[in-house]
Amino acid sequence: MVSGEESQTIEPEFRPLDPRVVRLWRLNYLVGFGVLLLMLLAGAVTAVLARPALRPWAALLWCGTAALAGWLSYWRPPRLYRAWGYRIDAQVFETRSGLFFHVSRLLPLARLQHVDLERGPFERIYGLSSLVLHTAGTHSASITIPGLDAGEAVRLRDHLVAIGGDDAV
Amino acid sequence: MQSEAAVFEGRLHPLTLAFAAYTAVRRLILPAIPLLVFSDRRLGPAILGVLFVSALAQALGRYFSFRYRVEGGELVVRQGILERRERHIPLERVQEIRIEQGVLHRLLGVVDAQVDTGGGGGPEATLSVLSRAEAERLQLAVGERVAKVGEAAASPNEAVVVRRLGVGELALSGLTSNHLVSALALAGLLWTLLDDFVSEGALRRGAGAVFGTTRRVYEQDVWSTVALTVLGAALLLLLAVTFSVAGAIVLYYGFTLTLRGDDLGRRYGLLTRRASSLPRRRIQVLEVEEGLLRRFCRLATLRADTVAGRTDGDEPKDQWRGVLLPIVPRAEVEELLPVFLPDLEPGPAEWRQVSRLSVRRGTVKGAAVCALAASASAALQHSAYGLWPLFMLAPLYWVNLRRYRHLGYALGERYFRTRRGWLSRSTHLVPIRKVQEVEVRQNWFDRRLGLATLVVDTAGQAYTGGGPLVTNLPLEEARRLAATLARRAQRGMAHGSTRI
Repeated sequence: MVSGEESQTIEPEFRPLDPRVVRLWRLNYLVGFGVLLLMLLAGAVTAVLARPALRPWAALLWCGTAALAGWLSYWRPPRLYRAWGYRIDAQVFETRSGLFFHVSRLLPLARLQHVDLERGPFERIYGLSSLVLHTAGTHSASITIPGLDAGEAVRLRDHLVAIGGDDAV
Repeated sequence: MQSEAAVFEGRLHPLTLAFAAYTAVRRLILPAIPLLVFSDRRLGPAILGVLFVSALAQALGRYFSFRYRVEGGELVVRQGILERRERHIPLERVQEIRIEQGVLHRLLGVVDAQVDTGGGGGPEATLSVLSRAEAERLQLAVGERVAKVGEAAASPNEAVVVRRLGVGELALSGLTSNHLVSALALAGLLWTLLDDFVSEGALRRGAGAVFGTTRRVYEQDVWSTVALTVLGAALLLLLAVTFSVAGAIVLYYGFTLTLRGDDLGRRYGLLTRRASSLPRRRIQVLEVEEGLLRRFCRLATLRADTVAGRTDGDEPKDQWRGVLLPIVPRAEVEELLPVFLPDLEPGPAEWRQVSRLSVRRGTVKGAAVCALAASASAALQHSAYGLWPLFMLAPLYWVNLRRYRHLGYALGERYFRTRRGWLSRSTHLVPIRKVQEVEVRQNWFDRRLGLATLVVDTAGQAYTGGGPLVTNLPLEEARRLAATLARRAQRGMAHGSTRI
């Protein structure tokens, strides 16, 4: 049912994110898990003070969680990075992502409502930016592309804004 | 700009003040009771007086400052005394105009009007209250201007009646709606009422009497107990059915669907009259819904979503707002569709099925549940008779086969259709130019089988049950389909003929 004129368009290869995003994600994970582990530690200390018999269990539990968190922060980012990709041609913007749940999302460029450029403090450290593409949709009204090189993100945004944006619904 | 002079301007009906006073009284009744009972004799009435007067003053300010006009392709609404606010609503962006009339409104000949552009967060302009003539003038003016902008109106002033529903059809719609839910709701309501009005001692004595009688009857005769239980259940069901039928008739009484130019008009209600006009090119998704009972009676409900139906994650409580036609014989749906979607491809849709693996997958999933249930019940009963859930396997396979046969999609040049479900079915039609985003999703099981789920996102899917979705598509097909949909959506936009 796919007519010729549509399949004729040559689809460009998926482009990867900036490799620095792996380090950014690791940092994000470490900070997030760090807060969690600190809270756990506080809980464990309180428990041990109340009932000293719990000490070996609390230590074991905390160390186990810490090891798991450490391993996850080391293991997951590079795989996520390899799963991520985006491509753009004259008509459609497409992203793919996900380790366990693969999702690819296609956005007709005319559907673009507005584009946000976001730079968190950690992203700034690594010279990265996130681009958020908004549509008027219901379930997934925005697509976030994390970890783009700051200059590349600005270029991509300007390009998207220039070609997209007929917001009549 | 001379030619763009105001088409007309107006203000609220003087009865606005009466309604504001009425609302204020109604809002104050509940807080009034503790205030009057617990505070001292002067303070309570004083607080109430201040609250009431401030509400009234607000209404006065609103009434005297509120102006609206249609001018230069815009609806301009101005209000406020201290902080003046002027809102310009481009008529080409108006999604829907709704007119509502409660019983009091009807007695006094006034209406509430709401103008929606889908900006999110409710209607853009609420005109409450207007005289009925004024509201009709507004609706006509806006409708005409919208039609002119859209260049789609043939004869904007002639309304053609598409469908009128009689009491019989509405009763049928009530009969085929979901009774169990209403029966449970009713039982719950009765229970709370009982709790509120009967003191605990009396309740306990009553319960004791009922239990005593039941036991005596049971000891005398088992069959009369069974008969009593059945009778009780039947009575409850009858009550639920009555409520359901009455509810459908009260809500949709005199349902009339009209077409004026490009505007779909709906008008219904026994107590509260509701009217809305919806430009049909605003329809984002149309759903043909066949609930369990309706499906076996060969009936369907038509629902539509516009951008105005966009809610942020919440299931809307006013489900009836999305209903285009509460009840229609399934066989007549196909010929009615072009009324709502004028550029629909003629002829029957070419349905394509998904991968046959979906049967195996559904059966395996169900079999796992069956096996769990069987082992649990066998363990509890300590006998092989506990394995009865395993007999469900054959019907399970059959159900999955039926579901597979009905699952599918049809891709046209301008419309994309999906259908799913077997016991209760739902068919979605999406104008491809309204597609906002297409997603291909694969979970772990999908990946093992090389399948994927295709989800089509549009603006506003509040009333159409989650929108179009096809599961169990072969991955390559899903990818190709997604790319085709996205490209056609882009092209449909670029051509400009379908811009608005």
